[in-house]
Amino acid sequence: MSSLAAALADVVGGAQVLARPATLHVYRSDALPGLRALPSLAVFPATPDELIGVIRVLAAHDAPFVARGAGTGLSGGALADGITLVGLHRMRRILALDPVARTATVEPGVVNATLTRAAAPHGLHYAPDPSSQAACTIGGNIAENAGGPHCLKYGVTLDHVVAATIVLPDGEVVTLDRGDEGGYDLLGAFVGSEGCFGVVVDVTVRLTPDPERIVTLLADFTSVDTAADATSQVVAAGIVPAALELMDAATIGAVESSVYAAGYPRDAAAVLLVEVDGAADGVEADVTHLTALLRDAGARGVRVAHDPADRARLWQGRKKAFGAMGRIAPHLVVQDAVVPRTRLAELLRTIEGIGVRHGVRVCNVFHAGDGNLHPNIPCDTDDPAEAARVHAAMSEIMTACIAAGGSITGEHGVGIDKLGYMDALFTPETLDAMCRLREVFDPGRRANPGKAVPVHACREWHAVPAGRRGVA
Amino acid sequence: MTTDAVSRPCALPGTPLAQERAGLDACVHCGFCLPACPTYLALDDENDSPRGRLLLMQTLLDGTVRPDDPDVGRHFDQCLGCRGCETACPSGVPYGRLLEATRATLTTHRPLPLVARLILGVFAREWALRPALAAARLVRASGVAGWLARALPARLGMPFAMLASTARPDAANWAATGDGQRGEATLLTGCVMEGLFHPVNRATERTLTVNGYRMRSTPGQVCCGALHAHAGDLETARALARTNITAFESCGAASVVVNSAGCGAMLTEYAHLLADDPAWAARAATFAATVRDVSALLAAAGPTPTAPIGAPRRVAYDAPCHLQHGQRIVDPPLAVLRAAGGIRSVPLAEADQCCGSAGIFNLTQPEVAERVLAPKLRRIAESGAEVVATGNPGCLMQIGGGLTLTGSPVVARHPVELLDADYARGTRRD
Repeated sequence: MSSLAAALADVVGGAQVLARPATLHVYRSDALPGLRALPSLAVFPATPDELIGVIRVLAAHDAPFVARGAGTGLSGGALADGITLVGLHRMRRILALDPVARTATVEPGVVNATLTRAAAPHGLHYAPDPSSQAACTIGGNIAENAGGPHCLKYGVTLDHVVAATIVLPDGEVVTLDRGDEGGYDLLGAFVGSEGCFGVVVDVTVRLTPDPERIVTLLADFTSVDTAADATSQVVAAGIVPAALELMDAATIGAVESSVYAAGYPRDAAAVLLVEVDGAADGVEADVTHLTALLRDAGARGVRVAHDPADRARLWQGRKKAFGAMGRIAPHLVVQDAVVPRTRLAELLRTIEGIGVRHGVRVCNVFHAGDGNLHPNIPCDTDDPAEAARVHAAMSEIMTACIAAGGSITGEHGVGIDKLGYMDALFTPETLDAMCRLREVFDPGRRANPGKAVPVHACREWHAVPAGRRGVA
Repeated sequence: MTTDAVSRPCALPGTPLAQERAGLDACVHCGFCLPACPTYLALDDENDSPRGRLLLMQTLLDGTVRPDDPDVGRHFDQCLGCRGCETACPSGVPYGRLLEATRATLTTHRPLPLVARLILGVFAREWALRPALAAARLVRASGVAGWLARALPARLGMPFAMLASTARPDAANWAATGDGQRGEATLLTGCVMEGLFHPVNRATERTLTVNGYRMRSTPGQVCCGALHAHAGDLETARALARTNITAFESCGAASVVVNSAGCGAMLTEYAHLLADDPAWAARAATFAATVRDVSALLAAAGPTPTAPIGAPRRVAYDAPCHLQHGQRIVDPPLAVLRAAGGIRSVPLAEADQCCGSAGIFNLTQPEVAERVLAPKLRRIAESGAEVVATGNPGCLMQIGGGLTLTGSPVVARHPVELLDADYARGTRRD
């Protein structure tokens, strides 16, 4: 056992340090298994003291590390290439839940859906609801500034974080807030920093009151174009849905073949899942308005679900769609990009054309209301020729999204998967500013090295020893 | 786009795991199985999660990890095989089959532990099994089991507490009649069920009779082979399956009734187990289609309710994994309980979580089983139930033994026993 492993074992106990490659393989990927990197060590602290102790040992050994929640990320952000992986899944206590102040303080390993379950008896919920909410952790949500279908109306993770205790990579423990009482919004800088600024010890988040009435509509269309245009018409009509999601035929087929079959019409070219919530009167008026609007926009049928069980079924299908695509092919390449909503139909046509040209099948399931695309390609990446076609198609798709005035990530983060697109999106000056912001939190560049911002963009990079350059 | 698997290098060609490789390819690593896995929640290591074990299978196949690696073997040993992950999996990964195939592949590189081999050997041989169960009944009847459960330290006492919990001093005994209009059914009497839970078997026959089934017996039936298949001894499981198929074919009843969730899940898997055997594949598929859990047959018949009886007992239902995940049977056991007039159902939190029994798991992995059982016992205490109803002998013994050891007044009973007892009380009142 290395001296680092021995020192870590002193903090958490020998059983919570993995050092043999045979037991480290399961930590080589997040939910994008096409990206792999084997950690040299994995360590699992269970308490704030253990976590702080672990980070201090790593600092004393000048050792780089990567924090990981449940490994449900979709950009390779939690890969630790030959360095130490700090698993936070054992830190899963809800430390406080205040129904009057409507806040909860939790450890980073608390599962997103667990927090909502704990808040439910008080008529509250945690609003950011990534599709992986049944498994993903609040700590990971903070690292990625995670979104989810309901962020259209309720905002993303950052909008729901009040304060956080952070252990900085050098072992110092600080409390960050939104700067509401003066000073900088350092928490705003931390949320979405993809694990490059430090590790959450605990975080206080806002809980949201359950709406009085929730209604979910399922509208089905015979063309993707019509469905995409309908989303713009909904928003243009002045209705702010709680969520507005689009799924295409390939996605519908995968979901309907799974245990989460939701009753989406298999012969539709696309379905829109629209949810409205709020005070009962307003919601009923919105439902009437929306039903008429969707029909006028070309919907073949509109199904209205009031009953919680029926609504839950419609949502389960959407939320498990990504997993269900495993039925189509051995591997799945997932992408995440944002485009102006008004250009959705045009971009979906472009994406389809790119898919046809490269001989790959693109499945679309995404947050249409905020123009957050998820083009997914089921494929067999063990076939080098197919892997190359998929890669080429994805690059063209991302280039098209950037050209349309969009961005390369809506909610999955850059990680290592999208590092290569950063230069196309940002000027060297902007990237250098990001590097310098990072230096404030992690001057040693030991926290999640080589992620989020391409290292060549950092002016001082070449002064750092090669061993620290991480996976990039 | 191609969906055909490209020919990939395989470090374990021709093994059961290599044959099931397509099932492995369905996993996209989404991680939705993690919160559904009792051993991940208890052991906190992704190596003890479904996604982790699937990845270990992958590394075995691509040769990254050797099949005799002690750590890898341990993580497969520590899997309950509850298949809760299958119910959570959007991609339909056949985890249970992959686990059995992996264990079958690993047994050629590392033999099963002695305890497991001993138990499996006894269950595969009628001449050994009958005396063993008779001896167990003697230990139970003499009161030695109860005494040892109390006197020994918890982990050593658990097997005796489990045995003591199978006693049924209050077993009903009455003659049931029915119109037989729902056709013929025959009972898989089972090993542990007939050996230690024979009052449950009689209750099964009586409740089915009351509900219009004509019961026929099937001589020549043997252990279902579930314990062997789960441990990776697929050859013994196949031999037992062939014997059972032959026996039940001679009986000819329309339905083969099972009151043990684990055995029922196994019988429905015979089609897959013998799929590559040309002489048996079709027979196995025909047989598997006749298998019914007792709760499903009773629910199909109503079941006939009893009138409200006295002060109702508070009963909490705990779903056996191989009923809810293995056979996707969720509502029928609740219908059985609703028909019993002497019962008031109370909710049990986390009733869908495994209790840690898992066949012989609680004997081969007592420490893990204990950690999985602990939250179950807490939830039972919180529910305020007087009785926990569950339709599987392993769960009845694991929960019953745990309750006995912790000095709880709560008892574990099969749903059919509870309905039968209320039928019996109704009969007496007539």
